[in-house]
Amino acid sequence: MGPVELLHMSVFSQSFSPCGRFLAAGNNYGEIALFSLSAALSPDATALSQKPVLTFTAHDGPVFSLLSNDSQLFSAGNGEISCWSWSELVKKNAKPLWTKRPNYKSSLEIPEINAMIINPRDNSLVVGGGDNNIHILDLEHGVFKSVLQGHSDYIHCVSVREREAEILSGGEDGAVRMWDSRTGQSVHCVEIYKYESCARPQYGKWISCLTTDSDWMLCGGGPSLSLWHLRSLSPTSVFPLAGCQRQAAFYQDMILAVGEGPFVSHCLLGGEVKAQIPCTPQSLNTLQINANSTEHRVLTVGGSSDHIDVFTNLSYKTFSLSF
Amino acid sequence: MLANVSSQIAQQLLDFFKQYLKGCLIPAFAPIPDEVIRKRLLIDGDGAGDDRRINVLLKSVTKWCNSTGTPEEGFTQYQRMMGTLAQCEFSMGKTLMVYDMNLREMENYEKIYTNIEQSITSAHEKIAECKKEIQRAKRIRKNRQEYDALAKVIQQHPDRHETLKQLEALDKELQLLSRTKENVDAKLELRKKQFHVLLSTIQELQQTLENDEKSDNDDINQESPAENGE
Repeated sequence: MGPVELLHMSVFSQSFSPCGRFLAAGNNYGEIALFSLSAALSPDATALSQKPVLTFTAHDGPVFSLLSNDSQLFSAGNGEISCWSWSELVKKNAKPLWTKRPNYKSSLEIPEINAMIINPRDNSLVVGGGDNNIHILDLEHGVFKSVLQGHSDYIHCVSVREREAEILSGGEDGAVRMWDSRTGQSVHCVEIYKYESCARPQYGKWISCLTTDSDWMLCGGGPSLSLWHLRSLSPTSVFPLAGCQRQAAFYQDMILAVGEGPFVSHCLLGGEVKAQIPCTPQSLNTLQINANSTEHRVLTVGGSSDHIDVFTNLSYKTFSLSF
Repeated sequence: MLANVSSQIAQQLLDFFKQYLKGCLIPAFAPIPDEVIRKRLLIDGDGAGDDRRINVLLKSVTKWCNSTGTPEEGFTQYQRMMGTLAQCEFSMGKTLMVYDMNLREMENYEKIYTNIEQSITSAHEKIAECKKEIQRAKRIRKNRQEYDALAKVIQQHPDRHETLKQLEALDKELQLLSRTKENVDAKLELRKKQFHVLLSTIQELQQTLENDEKSDNDDINQESPAENGE
């Protein structure tokens, strides 16, 4: 990997291993790199422990989405989904368990897959991508069991509302749709850009980040990042962040958001921005918190750089892993 | 008499020194290992202390035992020897006390060590407690903020009592207006019917008048041709 490639690298997705000791990151060249967190966080870490323990090419196109369940890593790139076993990857054996492609209507161009999430209720993988539809893959049987249609433009992000068994999806058409996962019908459709408090017409109407914790939903992108109460479908707080936010997460009593701008924003639920912590990449694409391990509870962010910043304490950047 | 006492003391001293020299002479006849030399040098390297004193005492004892001279000289020599012996005893007592002190210091350190260990474990426990507290406080803060956000939205909507009152007033107005409308409708119907009666009566009268006119004309017409015919 020459210096020019490193300069143009963007990290699009991250996922922690189920044991919490490894981090997988996918970049725009289709590669997935595996970093050992336990080595990088140990007291006698060297510069070498901040390099990946394994790098392999997973797809032809950029790896836009990575997801882990109890034992497997799912990666999406170039319109197909590959499944890798974490135990095999730890042993440095990079061979996929299976590779599947959803049934696309048109066979001329292959739409990319932008987002994936696991619906734990029925052990299915919800996949949203460039063909404006959401495909649901049953992980037990390995077949695509349904397609949710309704968006008029490609889908950026999906999320699962566990308590009510609903799937939320946000897309380029500015609509956040809520689907009942059992019947596959669209239950609600909220067009965020139509609400005056959130809309930012200068950025557009697309929704690029969506996350929920069953009662509340965070969504943002072209419109400002806003907190919505799902039962009443009304926006309760709008966060005054400049730039478009690409990923947001609920963490304890705070909201962490990353997007345009070389910082991680910490916001309170009331709508004020508490802090903006600077980081290495000029703009950030992905944010993950390691919830699988108590001793390696870190926050990692990646974006338009070959460095992935690791935060052991949320208030400052500890070190960077690099491809 | 003095010679007897002195010979007894000399015998005792000799026994004691034999014991002591067993530790010194035997190694002197065997190759002295480094450790022993090191230890002995450590204890009394410069030769200006107890070791020398004991050697001098030993030599003086043998000299005194084999001395031929006046009893006063022998007595002074005896006194000198007792003094040296007292000095040796004193230094031995000193070392014993230092040893005791070291033992007690060790005990003290052990105690401090256990105390510190205990306070470390209790500090660990307190830290764990505080961490749990902070988690709880964060949860509470999150709930409070969610409540505030919802309250903000709710405040934007008008009060329920107000709306109910407005609804009631509007209902009353509606009822009033509908009653008025009914009244007006009924009056309109009545007038319509009255006018209808009036108009129909007029028409009937007109019709009757026309019929009368026509029948009059007919009569006249019938009469005149009858007249003309005749």
